[in-house]
Amino acid sequence: MSTLFFDHLVVIETLNKKIKKHADSNDELQELWLYVEELIHHKVIGCCLENLPNEHHNEFMEMFHSRPYDKEIISFLNSKMDKDIEKLIKLEIKKLTKELILLDSNKM
Amino acid sequence: MTQSAQTNFRDALKLRSIEARNSFQKSFPVAHKFLLEKGVELGRLRQHSAKLISAGALTGSLLLSPPTSSGNLPSPIELVTGIDDVKNNDTKVLPQKELVDSLKQMLPTDVRPLSRDEEKRLEQVINDITNVPAKASLEGEHLNTTYGYIGAEQHLKRYPGDILENHGPYYKEGIAPGLGAWSYFAKSKSELNQDLIEKEKWYAVVQTLYLSDWSKRQPYLRDWYKYRKVLIVNTKNGNAVIADIADSGPAAFTGKQFGGSPEVMEYLGGSKYKKGSVILFFVDDPENRISLGPVKYNDIESISNSLIQI
Repeated sequence: MSTLFFDHLVVIETLNKKIKKHADSNDELQELWLYVEELIHHKVIGCCLENLPNEHHNEFMEMFHSRPYDKEIISFLNSKMDKDIEKLIKLEIKKLTKELILLDSNKM
Repeated sequence: MTQSAQTNFRDALKLRSIEARNSFQKSFPVAHKFLLEKGVELGRLRQHSAKLISAGALTGSLLLSPPTSSGNLPSPIELVTGIDDVKNNDTKVLPQKELVDSLKQMLPTDVRPLSRDEEKRLEQVINDITNVPAKASLEGEHLNTTYGYIGAEQHLKRYPGDILENHGPYYKEGIAPGLGAWSYFAKSKSELNQDLIEKEKWYAVVQTLYLSDWSKRQPYLRDWYKYRKVLIVNTKNGNAVIADIADSGPAAFTGKQFGGSPEVMEYLGGSKYKKGSVILFFVDDPENRISLGPVKYNDIESISNSLIQI
């Protein structure tokens, strides 16, 4: 059990190095971390809902609301879809990391 | 980094965050409504989860993965009796080995928040072996987790103008460009004393920002956590250090729950130690009698052998 059922799929150290360079104070740093957290959570839950058939959305939301830490949610999602949700979340996070790393460059 | 580059990055990140929120609301209106009705913000999901875990840990209703060898897990009395046997025995079994063996029996393989029962058992074993009055909960305060990964942090600037060269002998990690959560340790170099030097040297980082009541209970919590003493035990080798909380972090998406100064990390695991599993408990030391730094709980003669490098 972790704090969130997808924590083990979201480890992005490179982004943190970049964020630290953009913050003068701990308050600024925490503000930036919270933006990233919010982005991650929306992307991950969005990814789960997008790939889960509609008829299971309600059950997933109930489960997720009452036990957001429970890794069994991963097993539930995998049992209701014909894809590997862990792979999909990792891919989503990879895309997000790339996007955020390039955020202040001209490559976007 | 120029001020405008910092502002641009912050604004761009904030904009992306708002876009993600709007896009979620548009794509999944039913889910959005559900969360709204339940009063759950996805941006504060971690705090919501921490609150549930904390309540479940207290009532014992969480479905926790069992410790490695829970099948033959000894009772606390058996463990303590075993420790006393070792203390009274002439055989040269190091207390540090005893602690490592006990932790191996008591802790789950994967790091996770522990139940209050598990924490109580650990408190008893740690107190008996190291003589440090360590507690998972102190004065009603409890971190989101007491068993997690610690990562290497940089030195902190102790006063305006402080530079890395003043922080020998560990220069490799560098010095943080920004300030710690409680700003400078001293207002000026002349006000820096030995106590504050030790506080920076042996500092720890904990995730106060994800505490469910952090923003509601200010300024009390900010003051309570500032320089709060903690015992950090490397669960793999038993190396233990008393540190003080001097910064908030690390970000959850780094996969770590705690941070340690270069000195803390060096003592816990040696020069190559960058990340590892630890137990982190508060130290109950109201009269400020316990010094910061390494906890040398083996016999004096065997200290050099007991610091296990990994």
